[in-house]
Amino acid sequence: MSARELHAILPLLILSGGILFLLLQVSFLRSHKAAAATAVITLIAAIAACFDVARTLSQSAAPIEVTGLLLIDQQALFFCLLFLLAALAIAVLGFSYLQKRCDSARESIPEAFYLLLLLVMLGAMALVFSNHFASVFLSMELMSLALYPMLGFAVTGDLSPRLEQMYSLESGVKYLLLSALSTALGLFGMALIYAACGALDFGGVAAAVANLPRTPSLLLSGLTLLLITLAFKLSLVPFHIWTPDVYQGAPSPVTALIATVGKGAVVALLLRLFTELELFSIPALTGLLAAASVASMLVGNLLALMQKNIKRLLAYSSIAHIGYLLVAFLIGNSAFGNEAVLYYLVAYVITTLGAFGAVGLIADSALARTAGSAGEYVYTTTSPFQRDFYRGLLWRSPWLAGCLAAMLLSLAGIPLTIGFIGKFYIFAAGIQGQLRLLLAAVVIGSAIGLFYYLRLLLTMVLREPQAPLDSIESVRIAVSGRLLLISLTGVLLIFGVFPQILIDWIYTL
Amino acid sequence: MTPFSTLPAIIAILFCGGILAWLSERYFNRGSRQISLISLSVAAALLATYWPHLTDSPTGVWWDSVQINWIPRFGISFSLAIDGLGFLMLALTVLMGLFGLVVTWRDIRFRRGFFYFNYLWTLAGVVGVFTAIDLFLFFFFWEVMLLPMLFLIAVWGYEERIPAAIKFFIFTQASSLLMLLAIVTLVYLHYSASGILTFNYRELLNAQLTPGNAYWLMLGFFIAFAVKLPALPLHTWLPDAHTQAPTAGSILLAAILLKTGAYGLLRFTLPLFPEASAAFAPVAMSIGAASIIYGALLAFAQQDMKRLVAYSSVSHMGFVLLGLYAMNTVAAQGAVMQMIAHGFSTAALFSLVGAIQKRLNSRDMAQLGGLWSSLPKLSATALFFAVASLGMPGLGNFIAEFLVLLGSFDSNHWITAIAATGLIGAALYALLMMQRVFFGGLRTPEDAQTRSPTDLKAREFLALISLAAGLLLLGLRPQVVFDIAQPAIARTGTLHKKAPTATSQISSPKLRLSAWPDTDHRRGNSP
Repeated sequence: MSARELHAILPLLILSGGILFLLLQVSFLRSHKAAAATAVITLIAAIAACFDVARTLSQSAAPIEVTGLLLIDQQALFFCLLFLLAALAIAVLGFSYLQKRCDSARESIPEAFYLLLLLVMLGAMALVFSNHFASVFLSMELMSLALYPMLGFAVTGDLSPRLEQMYSLESGVKYLLLSALSTALGLFGMALIYAACGALDFGGVAAAVANLPRTPSLLLSGLTLLLITLAFKLSLVPFHIWTPDVYQGAPSPVTALIATVGKGAVVALLLRLFTELELFSIPALTGLLAAASVASMLVGNLLALMQKNIKRLLAYSSIAHIGYLLVAFLIGNSAFGNEAVLYYLVAYVITTLGAFGAVGLIADSALARTAGSAGEYVYTTTSPFQRDFYRGLLWRSPWLAGCLAAMLLSLAGIPLTIGFIGKFYIFAAGIQGQLRLLLAAVVIGSAIGLFYYLRLLLTMVLREPQAPLDSIESVRIAVSGRLLLISLTGVLLIFGVFPQILIDWIYTL
Repeated sequence: MTPFSTLPAIIAILFCGGILAWLSERYFNRGSRQISLISLSVAAALLATYWPHLTDSPTGVWWDSVQINWIPRFGISFSLAIDGLGFLMLALTVLMGLFGLVVTWRDIRFRRGFFYFNYLWTLAGVVGVFTAIDLFLFFFFWEVMLLPMLFLIAVWGYEERIPAAIKFFIFTQASSLLMLLAIVTLVYLHYSASGILTFNYRELLNAQLTPGNAYWLMLGFFIAFAVKLPALPLHTWLPDAHTQAPTAGSILLAAILLKTGAYGLLRFTLPLFPEASAAFAPVAMSIGAASIIYGALLAFAQQDMKRLVAYSSVSHMGFVLLGLYAMNTVAAQGAVMQMIAHGFSTAALFSLVGAIQKRLNSRDMAQLGGLWSSLPKLSATALFFAVASLGMPGLGNFIAEFLVLLGSFDSNHWITAIAATGLIGAALYALLMMQRVFFGGLRTPEDAQTRSPTDLKAREFLALISLAAGLLLLGLRPQVVFDIAQPAIARTGTLHKKAPTATSQISSPKLRLSAWPDTDHRRGNSP
């Protein structure tokens, strides 16, 4: 391995180093704040490293292959940058979450959260860089294994409400079982691909596919099984059953993590897989994805209509959004399709982070006000995740409600927000690919989507505050959380009004 | 392009005024109304700088235009332009904005700053819609005006405001998604054919489309505009939204927002897809005639005064649709006149209903009666505008409806004959409302018995009287409006002529363009 190759995986090395350092640090110094600081510094260093690698890449112009397992190119670096920034936001959200729930005098270990967060990031980034089925499997497992305990993390916080702990545990176990099942299918798929092609690296498989006269059914079934695994991770209909429960039960920062980084990394992999292996030419696979996309848009939006719990609502809406994203993906191997996927993913990540962030922070603040008798917190009133809790929020805390409103409008695809430009990209891509059926589903899905986003939005502006007495005063959240939300909203508006900036970045990086 | 240009300045002043109004109310607890008044007045003054263009016959097509690169990736630019039609619409917007502000000066008590923020942003969005000539920008403003309107209805509306607001938003938003789809497709087809990626209206006018494509795209635009107009099967959001909105919101909706649909048809649908529009004209005219009759019938059947006025809007906007698709200058002039006159008369009627509701706490015609004795000024004004609304000669509405019928009779006898019966309906519902509410023995709702209602204040009276004077002016000197609108309408007409006919497979009805070059003026002047 040359120095150049080592330099290319610098972000991964920094993350690994950070993880080791954090492990040692925790064994000597038990401090929540110090652990959070180390995680944030590691993430920032990794971001800096990404920029550094990107600069070298732009000089040589050719992607750097590292040991046949990883391939570092501009696009992958862009994804990594996006995910690292998202992870920074999640670290901030997690800090607020744990601050409220962990009493360090007792047995809770908030430091583990950051360790797991960095591990998830390591897995996600390795997945984005993967160029070999072995590394795909390894990194996907690394990501999932770190996610299981994170989903159940509320159990660690000894001040968490009882109900929250149960839900969180349910969420972790559910994801563990179903994810293991889907991974087994995917592994079997890889074995079939190997049987058909005799190779596991993407280049080798692509060559084998090109040499075969017609796609053999062995290869096709292998690819289909692999696709099912990915569809599970993306929670495409009909592999979406786990999503609402897991999203609802998990701590809000982890929900944001699994919805943004967890899904984004799989989108990145899907993009590379289809481009490298030239799978767009196999109608069976694209047909499968198209069907899943249409189903996701319709089912996701329809089921979201019936939710009263905000996190479940956002879970279903995220199913629909991945459906929209696939429309851009499906127009085949084209530069425009790539650009559209990237833009939509950025919009999705920013908006989802903001939405789950706002919901989580609001819930945290509700928790703080209602300390129970035994030291542990209980939600005395309606759960802060119910829609009723948001009645008249705009009058109680205008800035917070304004940020959440901006996120909702972006999810609904209303102009001035990044979500609108994303939707515009989807339309443009669909028209270029002449995907009439998919476009019809986008229009119908968006129209349905409007209803539930609006209902939530209008709940926030209800004139008479009928919320229970103790929630009438304004919602107080930590300064860090407030700053995070305001900056996310700012980014959302800037990219919504001046999308050219982001388009230029997508091109240069 | 000079560094200071008037069009962006008007929009910017309204946007900034909105933000200032909000902030001042939040931190000083007052001043939002004054700030709104000042920013609207400044906008009116800026608009008045175009006055010289009215008198000298404009040589260029556009009086003024601005173009700044916005999203070069897609050939999208921030381009605004104004011509005679745009000027008329802007003047209507600013005047009605001022009227709504003045006439409801004391109505809003809850979160006043946020109210005027939304009020001004709606107006800013509408100004953008009337001046944008980049299709993307047009769509952008089209959506920007919706959201504040949604808040106006949802926060300050009456009893059933939330469902009404949601219905309003979903109807308009879902249909505008179709328009976005049509816009992007149009641009894509133009790009594939010519290699130029642009959203600019003036360039897209030259797009060569196959008849089939053009027809579908035209439908995409038409549906979005027809929802806004509203035309018959897509009108169901309107009665609810108008009824539940606060008075100022109803004025904005009826006087201005409905006109964006008509403007869109005239500015975009007809010139961009001349052949497809011609093929579609009989259908559109039938929809227009059906809206006229249906709106009149339903207005006749209402108990709620506000609903009555709302349904009368459906009827009146039917005339606009009929006139626009009659495809000749006379009818188009009538349609433009109707847009303005309807704006005036409906805004006045909504403000009067609002005034009654404020005084007597009811707008139910079953509970009201004989108000003339206790509210003479209000009742007299109401009589004037009710009569204007039913099309009394001498007032703007008469000129408009007469010209529309005159022009469309030329295109389609039967549809016009049917539409004309709508005038009888208008007389019925307007006079019935007068009779039940203002004449006869005094009836007021029980809970208002103790209070003796006060008549119109000087402020309200003055605002209403100036609208009445405006209607009278439109009725007696309509020529001014015709002269201003003529170049823009003629351009729509010449496009019909220039439209390539070789590729057309659709048998288009014979068009008689500019068939009445002078006569319309003479007739218009003789009420």
